[in-house]
Amino acid sequence: MRHRRNQLTIGAVAFVLGLLVVVQLRTQASGAAFAGLSSQDLTVLVANLNARNDQLRREVADLDRDLAVLTGNTQRGEASLDELRADLRRVRLYAGADPATGPGVLIVARGPIDGSAVEDLINELRNAGAEAIGIDGTRIVPGVVVGGGPGSVTVDDAPVGDPFEIVAIGAPDKLTGSLTRSGGIIAQLAATQPDAVVEVTPADAVSIPATQRNLVPTAGSPRL
Amino acid sequence: MTLIRRLRSIPSWQSTLGLALLGLGFLVAAQLASEGPRVRYTSQERTPLIETATELQSQQDTLKVGILDLRKKIQEAEQSGQGSAALVKDLNALLQEARIAAGLIPLTGTGIVLQVEDSLEPVAPDSNEADYLVGARDIRTLVEELWAAGAQAVAVNGERITPTTSVIDIGSSILVNSAYLLPAYQITALGADDLYARLSASPGFVDFIRARAEAYGIRVAFAEPDSVDIPAFAGTVTLRYARPETTPGPAASPAS
Repeated sequence: MRHRRNQLTIGAVAFVLGLLVVVQLRTQASGAAFAGLSSQDLTVLVANLNARNDQLRREVADLDRDLAVLTGNTQRGEASLDELRADLRRVRLYAGADPATGPGVLIVARGPIDGSAVEDLINELRNAGAEAIGIDGTRIVPGVVVGGGPGSVTVDDAPVGDPFEIVAIGAPDKLTGSLTRSGGIIAQLAATQPDAVVEVTPADAVSIPATQRNLVPTAGSPRL
Repeated sequence: MTLIRRLRSIPSWQSTLGLALLGLGFLVAAQLASEGPRVRYTSQERTPLIETATELQSQQDTLKVGILDLRKKIQEAEQSGQGSAALVKDLNALLQEARIAAGLIPLTGTGIVLQVEDSLEPVAPDSNEADYLVGARDIRTLVEELWAAGAQAVAVNGERITPTTSVIDIGSSILVNSAYLLPAYQITALGADDLYARLSASPGFVDFIRARAEAYGIRVAFAEPDSVDIPAFAGTVTLRYARPETTPGPAASPAS
């Protein structure tokens, strides 16, 4: 009898102990997530998360609509060829497999700019919502490497001209604003490379060719 | 001698209980201590911001699961579609290829994993603390080096690198696609067997190790598992400004 009571006590203590370990770990995990952020950083983070979640919500709505149309067609015994073709066009356009056109910006760069500065520009354009980017006629897709030292930028090892052009499709005012804002990427570049010139012009329509790369990996296969 | 005898006379369950209680006490103290600083922020503007950010992050996780689920259902619906069987089959094959190209399909295959973590070294007197932390530029440099070494698909902490992916700093943290990432940063790359050999021979990678690992103690490790898994992109592929150029590309969709 006494033995059983001991076991119960130990059992109860072990239970509470386990509970506390879990609570402690969770507290540390969630606390760590934002530990290094100031109020200002948190404000930027919240704004970013809000904007990006809205984008994801729009995608969910679009996919919901697509699925409803497909299901409706199947129920009526109709073909969904138009939907399949539209889906194919959409995905190929996103991947860079088809040429794209639309409003955006034209950027002319000349002088001692290096590959890493161009990479920064591309990253900034994407962050501002660029949907497709091209440099001197090469579509920038995953795998394309922009490199080279000051004044000798290369795209996939091919040198670009001087000056060279970067075009991006997206909201022209947003793309322009994010590049040219005070303290933005062009201001930073001007501070480190005073001889480099980067001009940004909003455009009603720019064209970007399809990529020439094989976009389907050969080292892997779809995971089910 | 008496002490040892006394200890021996204590039943083992009591020592177990004693040890467990000691652990319990430690954990209660740790719990209180870890809550301490955050209680102090209650009156500040930080707490609601942290709550909002946590809430938004969890909403995002739900949205992403929803997107992946809907894509799967759409794919199934498309494959079971009616109409000319051959045409539907052709279109579905093209769609699968396009989805793989766009990063919408999870992949598995040969590759490597790079892990980068903040430095543990003390910050030198007249240097910048940020140099001792992994930043967005470090991640971008490594991803770029991986592409140059022949990587065919890359993901950072589960976020697939796609044509629209940006990697930016927000304070001391990093945002990739729409996700806020925490260290350790794991960059997974799919590629041929010689991927690591080519990466480690690249002057750019050697420069990175010299400038970041050797100079500031940024910790870089790599693993070459039997196979690596690259997740699908769980973000938006619906473009709002771009549309197809009227002249089709070299291998555009088949004519109807």
